[in-house]
Amino acid sequence: MRGQIIDAIFERMASNPDVFFLTADMGINLVEKFAETYPTRFLNVGIAEQNLVGVSAGLANLGFRPFAYTISNFAVHRCFEQIRNDIGIHDYPIVLLGTSTGYDNAPLGPTHHIIDDWGALKAIPEIDIYCPSSVSYAGFLVDHLLSTGRPAYVRIPKGAYQTPASTDHFVMLPGRGQDTLLVSYGTCAQDCLAAQARDPALAVLVVNRLRPLDEEKLAEALRPYHRIIVVEDHFPSAGLYGSLCELLVRHSVGTRMHSLAPHDYTLDVGTSNGYFHRKYGLDGDGILAAVAAH
Amino acid sequence: MTIQTKLPTAAAVRSSGFADPIAIRLTILDMLYRAKASHLGSSMSVVEMLVAMYGSTQVEKIRDRAPDRSRVIVSKGHCAAATYATMAHFGIIPMSLVDTYHTDHSLLAGHVSHAVHGVEHSTGALGHGINVAVGCAVGLRSRNVNDALALALVGDGEIQEGSVWEALMLASHLRLNNFIALVDNNRISSITDTDKVLDQRPLAQRFAGFGLGVREVDGHDVTAILSAIRGLTAGDRPGVVICSTIKGKGVPFAENQPIWHYRSLNDQLYAEAKAAVAAAARRA
Repeated sequence: MRGQIIDAIFERMASNPDVFFLTADMGINLVEKFAETYPTRFLNVGIAEQNLVGVSAGLANLGFRPFAYTISNFAVHRCFEQIRNDIGIHDYPIVLLGTSTGYDNAPLGPTHHIIDDWGALKAIPEIDIYCPSSVSYAGFLVDHLLSTGRPAYVRIPKGAYQTPASTDHFVMLPGRGQDTLLVSYGTCAQDCLAAQARDPALAVLVVNRLRPLDEEKLAEALRPYHRIIVVEDHFPSAGLYGSLCELLVRHSVGTRMHSLAPHDYTLDVGTSNGYFHRKYGLDGDGILAAVAAH
Repeated sequence: MTIQTKLPTAAAVRSSGFADPIAIRLTILDMLYRAKASHLGSSMSVVEMLVAMYGSTQVEKIRDRAPDRSRVIVSKGHCAAATYATMAHFGIIPMSLVDTYHTDHSLLAGHVSHAVHGVEHSTGALGHGINVAVGCAVGLRSRNVNDALALALVGDGEIQEGSVWEALMLASHLRLNNFIALVDNNRISSITDTDKVLDQRPLAQRFAGFGLGVREVDGHDVTAILSAIRGLTAGDRPGVVICSTIKGKGVPFAENQPIWHYRSLNDQLYAEAKAAVAAAARRA
């Protein structure tokens, strides 16, 4: 999905002289074309993420539309006060592009596991939050962000998933029944689709925009199901599980809610996303086991 | 690229009638007394620096929010009273607005806020504004605006924040000669002497080591600060003006006293402070 987003920004720079791309020295073989083609609207600030955000705010003061790129954990955790003060309080239309989500960087250890990023930003009301679950949505997202003109964080999974091929902020993939609905986003949506392929009774809801949620429509979409299992590569109380629990209470939907998610930091070494998805029961087997157990 | 600012002479700034540091100090005392507000010490130390900063700009462009205006960013946001008083004396905001400082429903909080017309960026947490100022300098260059500056006012305690040095490294790397930081070197940070907390002396060599042009001046001499800004903009790199100041300047019982970062004025001290500042005006 990263490629679709980067390509879309590059294309928009040709027609929109306000688009400015910044990186904190990340994106090898990806960002070089920005420097070559648009040297006055590209900046590598170096390994200095606080400055990445502060400089982006200065550019926004000049009327630019900054897209600031680095690995998600550096973009969010390192810069929380800059995001709060210099983006949120000012309501600047800065887009933080965080590459990698969940366990995309599995063997690199817990500093690079991105399981608490967007939940941290839920504390800042001004920031819209996205996690594209397909190349279709990723390709659509840049124009959407330019049109909203709002502060935003995009957590970009490393994969390039073709399904669900939709540009909607959430996508319902009905099952044969209305007993169990799996809700997910990003990489974990693929695990849910794998589970649905093995048990067609399961319905799957894929969410691309994590905030704002389309409350009324989502409440009505969720209401018919007897139970909902939220599957995510993020701590659940700060994640979509927490958001949906609040939403359902607000809309008096009494559906039973369950969570499949990591619950702690781990020093385990696994060579891929799959290792940690198995560990926390986020893979197809884990999801089907949870369906059978609850 | 040469910066083509039309910097006024000190005499021109003085004759403008807006920028008398003594009058600004009296306004600050009124604001702090009425509001029972703190931060008297640094509000008094930065007055001449703010006069020189706004005096280095085309103020009418700031008033009109012209896209090609110079950007004045007060990174040490607790100097809000001094900032608002100076802006009012330059005619950027009305004095009637200043009168509401620190009161219910006012736009004027105890830290600088962009809710106030003419303020570029809200600050209060340290080590933020200077980074934004560097972003403004990058943006001005990208927009091909060659007659405007990005000026950041930072404290000598504030420069203990690592993010300050991230900003300076980038400014130096990009040779942003439209960026100047002015350091309020009053030698006192939050609770005690800056040098006792984290000794960064010699400051000039530190900044020079980061590749910046450096001037050291008397921070209560508007002419000297203006001259330093003028000299730095003629160069090919970003600059730092280290302004030697006195925290609480002009208020004898508060001068160099860390507690006046926090304390507020009662009736008697307000009268004493006003009398001292007025007496200084008579001596001048």
